[in-house]
Amino acid sequence: MQGGYEDLIIVGINQVGFKGRRSKEMDNQVQSRGQKELQEQVINAHLCVGCGACAYLCPYQVIYKDQTIVLHDCDLAEGRCYAFCPRTSTDYDAIRKALFDEEDLTLELGPIKGFYIVRAAGEVNRANAQHGGTVSALMALALEEGLIDAAIVAEGEDNFLHHGIAVTEPIDIKKRGKSKFIVSPTVAEFNKIAAGDAKKIGVVATPCQAQAFAKMRMKPIAGKESHIDKLQLVIGLFCGWALSWRKFTDLLRRSTSLESITGMDKPPGTQTVEIFTTNGTIILPVDDINTCIREACHYCIDSTAEFSDISVGSARLPESWEETKTWNQVIVRSERGQTLLELARSKNVLEFRDVPEGNFDELKKAAVEKKKGAIERLREKSGQPNDLIYLDENDPVIKKIMG
Amino acid sequence: MGNTALPKDPYSIIITGVGGQGNVMASRVLANMLVRRGYQITIGETFGASQRGGSVMSHIRISQNATWSPQIPKGKADVVVTLEPIEAIRVLMTYGNPDVQVLTNTRPIYPVGVISGELAYPSIEEIQESVKDLSAHAWFVDATEEAIKMGNPILGNIIMIGAVAGIGALPVDRADFEEVIKENLPAGTLEVNLQAFDVGVAKVTA
Amino acid sequence: MSKLIDENEGAQYLYMGNEAIARGALEAGISLASGYPGTPSSEIIENLAKVAGERNLYVEWSTNEKVAMEVAAAASFAQLRSLCVMKQNGVNVASDFLLHLAGSGTRGGMVLVTCDDPGALSSVNEGESRHFFRMVEVPLLEPGDFQEAKDMTKWAFELSEELRSLVAVRSVTRMSHASGNVKIGKLPSTDKQAEFRYSGFILDPMEGIVGSAPVAFRHAEQQEKIKKVREIFEDCPFNTYEGPEKPDLLVITSSACTLYSREAINLLGLQDRVGLLKIGTTWPLPPRLLTKYLSLTDRILIVEEVLPFLEDNVKIIAAEQAKAIGVKTFYGKNNGTIPTAGEMNPDHVVAAFCKILNIEYVTMSSEYEQRAQLLGFTLVPNREQTFCPGCPHRASFWSIHNALQLDNRKGFVCGDIGCYTMAMLPTGFSTLKTVHSMGSGTGIASGFGKLGPFGMDQPVLSVCGDSTFYHAAMPALVNAVHHKSNIIMIVLDNSGTAMTGFQPHPGLAVSAMGDEVPAIDVAKICEAVGARVEVRDPFNLKETPDTLLELMEDQEGAKVLILRQKCALSPERKAKKYFEMQVDEERCIGEECGCNRLCTRILRCPGLFWDKEKKTARIDEVLCAGCGVCSYICPEEAIIRKEVA
Repeated sequence: MQGGYEDLIIVGINQVGFKGRRSKEMDNQVQSRGQKELQEQVINAHLCVGCGACAYLCPYQVIYKDQTIVLHDCDLAEGRCYAFCPRTSTDYDAIRKALFDEEDLTLELGPIKGFYIVRAAGEVNRANAQHGGTVSALMALALEEGLIDAAIVAEGEDNFLHHGIAVTEPIDIKKRGKSKFIVSPTVAEFNKIAAGDAKKIGVVATPCQAQAFAKMRMKPIAGKESHIDKLQLVIGLFCGWALSWRKFTDLLRRSTSLESITGMDKPPGTQTVEIFTTNGTIILPVDDINTCIREACHYCIDSTAEFSDISVGSARLPESWEETKTWNQVIVRSERGQTLLELARSKNVLEFRDVPEGNFDELKKAAVEKKKGAIERLREKSGQPNDLIYLDENDPVIKKIMG
Repeated sequence: MGNTALPKDPYSIIITGVGGQGNVMASRVLANMLVRRGYQITIGETFGASQRGGSVMSHIRISQNATWSPQIPKGKADVVVTLEPIEAIRVLMTYGNPDVQVLTNTRPIYPVGVISGELAYPSIEEIQESVKDLSAHAWFVDATEEAIKMGNPILGNIIMIGAVAGIGALPVDRADFEEVIKENLPAGTLEVNLQAFDVGVAKVTA
Repeated sequence: MSKLIDENEGAQYLYMGNEAIARGALEAGISLASGYPGTPSSEIIENLAKVAGERNLYVEWSTNEKVAMEVAAAASFAQLRSLCVMKQNGVNVASDFLLHLAGSGTRGGMVLVTCDDPGALSSVNEGESRHFFRMVEVPLLEPGDFQEAKDMTKWAFELSEELRSLVAVRSVTRMSHASGNVKIGKLPSTDKQAEFRYSGFILDPMEGIVGSAPVAFRHAEQQEKIKKVREIFEDCPFNTYEGPEKPDLLVITSSACTLYSREAINLLGLQDRVGLLKIGTTWPLPPRLLTKYLSLTDRILIVEEVLPFLEDNVKIIAAEQAKAIGVKTFYGKNNGTIPTAGEMNPDHVVAAFCKILNIEYVTMSSEYEQRAQLLGFTLVPNREQTFCPGCPHRASFWSIHNALQLDNRKGFVCGDIGCYTMAMLPTGFSTLKTVHSMGSGTGIASGFGKLGPFGMDQPVLSVCGDSTFYHAAMPALVNAVHHKSNIIMIVLDNSGTAMTGFQPHPGLAVSAMGDEVPAIDVAKICEAVGARVEVRDPFNLKETPDTLLELMEDQEGAKVLILRQKCALSPERKAKKYFEMQVDEERCIGEECGCNRLCTRILRCPGLFWDKEKKTARIDEVLCAGCGVCSYICPEEAIIRKEVA
């Protein structure tokens, strides 16, 4: 099921395009409840992905380490925390149709306007990136061109933790291109930063975070839009899963001190993970890492950030790993995504190459596998073949996968 | 010193309020005024942990010559003085009777349950109506507001003592008060306390 | 001049029970008084400290009750009269020394006053000290009114010297904290000479060695003293009878229950049917006196609080004298006539009389009662205990609660004894999960901290106050450090024994008598013990939880976090607010999603209230203590603090 690090990593850009369609029917489909239900149905049920959608909207939920923490009880019957959470009961089909062109929708990979293999132009621009450097290049370009005036990117802390920061200078984006294995509370940071002066904000989001932003764009609670209109660009990251910080650091501590770790990667075709340290590389079996995956990630059906403007992942090419890992695959999903990519082409910010035959089908196949696995596990969790907990079994995508 | 006959023996007063309001001070001042008149007094008080924001009560028993229980029997209060309005009803639930006289300060102190919204605090009109309904005579004095005007909310207690003297329920007067204040409170506070006492008398006799 | 040292013999004053006890001790000519603060006992030592200069006394608040009793015993050994004061569970703390002191005997008159708290009005136990005195074989007196509280205390010193034994006087909350008229006696000369003599015959009670060995010899001596005191008690004026010659029912009672019983007899007009035997000498009971009154009637009601102590002892005598007095029917706690828990009051005695004598009595007309109950239940909100406005504990527990939530490993806090015990309640965000005796929080934590090998990975915290730290938490900390127990001890240092009224303790540079004394620093002690120590201001709502979170990640042994901020009721803080507080009503979003009244609904400081009409939080200018804490938590920065110049 899990894709592996190469998928986890990375990305694409584009700008956002909420088309502003929204029906009464959709309103009814977005269930609004409060913190109590959020805690029962998501946090205590291990469905919480740590995206941060419920955090910093109020003093009650915050993100600490990679966990959503309820500091005090809130007794409101209806709260943004519940409404924005990507793991509360959601009609994703309605959101898809509201936010994207219907003719672009695919069952396997969400909306698609185009599929490309690209990388940041110039070796120097890829130096700080995990792989092709495309995400950083696109976000920097969006800033330069004034499509956005602030970008929220992950800022590393000690011990694999990181938090989002708002960046206004393109140069600051490129310093922060590495993959993250622990979820970054990007939506929480958006909630904080959007309350400030920034007017047009771009974000780099995992699939679950892009789902949260999509739910926020539906403005489920009247009068409490939480500045979502400031969100102008969502660059989605392909993602296999994220790790639980406590489990992962406990595992690493058995081999080395956390302070000595400089990075990590998973070479394709191996069943190992490389941990780079100041004292050399440590090889760990993938099975060990798998025990550290957040439980919530097993229930995720989205590996390509279907609700973003443009999604970016690491490429799968017939060439050597050394060459392959300098490229990204990109799905353009919205008009804004398309505009940004074309701008990148015309400004020579990205290099393009041919998409190898079968590459797109491979991606589809992998995406369907992930969806199947997640649905199977949701059925197991609920104990009912038709109860997919937060997903709607009548969603055409789900129906198709369920056969 | 000879004393005048009491309406009843023992004659029972309750002073009630919220921890920190100066309940104990008020009951001591009043009791010392009565001791000066030659009565045998017993005061029962609640303090300690209950002082921290909880309801507090002082029971004062007045007798010609006997020491009575520091806890008034159920239904046997003759006069109830409350430094906080809802405490009047709380006390009457246990110690009230149709003949009781009640003096109430109208300034609420909200219980934390009310501050938090779990509980409701009744309107002052509802409180007044209930207290009247449960007593023979009821007086309502905006003692804390008057005390704030005088520069210190704690003087609300003295205003209430003045009011007790003013309604004539007890055989005490201004001279008793003056003597007790001289003996018990720091020098220099006499004048303001006498003023507060007079405000209390005026509130119930005007 | 204080009425406590008025020389005008025969004058009458309104004394609190504790003042009457203090006056009795002064009339007995004590030279030393010691104790540890505890409601309802604290005013005795406080009042004596105030007149220490005029009466040539040495008065101290000792580190704990055991030390207090040892300090008082020293004065007795040096032939001075001494008083030792504590609350009921203080006797538990002192009990080891008590046992040995009973064995060794005393020289100068020594009296232990214990103030019990039936109904636990200000305790976390309904402890009963009377059993200790039977257990260690020491005479026990119980005053039945305020005059007796004074007179009996004075007499206890004479009795102590006659027997060369400690004498106990037991008061209760409704005696110690009640007040009544007391006629005062003579104050003796204050000129006293102390000398500890030890050069006589080794077993000489006044000139030899003071100790409880040789045990069999000393114990036999002690038994002789008990025999002697039983005889003295036969004619003691503190045992009184009032009532008819042939009552239908005999009440045997003591202490405050005397007043409740008399009130009940009066209420029901039973003066001709019920006899009241008030016992002042509760242990050992004088058998001839009891036999005489038990002979008056066949029905006996024993009225007392907490455990059936008097009842058991009366029944022993009744059994021994059964041939002479005949078979009796006993009513009391054992047969359920008197409640077995909670404090007594006149109504309980009335109920007992009604049941035994088959009397109808209505306390309140049912019409009035129904009306009052209806109004009460519909209108009157419950008043839960709460930390005072501006209390540092509210801020401390806010941070502790938040840090435990953030850490998210089901960490918990072992509680202790002080105002902060209320952190069991919502006022402290229900943070405490265990509460026992003084110092026990850290002791229990020390145990929890060693359960890691059994899979327990929950962070373990304890709290204790500054006074509690010296009293009994220090040995627990030593234990935790020595055994590398993985705990965080939080010392809530508010610079005084706040709960009982700011008595000084070893951490302060002032003694009970107001003298300058060396202050002993909590942080330095903890460091010397070997703990990692951090000191923070609980009003800093950022640093405090951050520090705690970091300490919870530190898995190496015992850590100490001292949260230092003065009590809101302390003279310094009462004199000056830190801030003038105000709510910007435009900014306050109140009940909306985004706040939902964090300040009034969760922080729940009485200095704030929710204005339902305006839908905004507001400051109660009378109650607000100006600590500023609410302004730091407001998500909209709507609560504004202005520094007081």
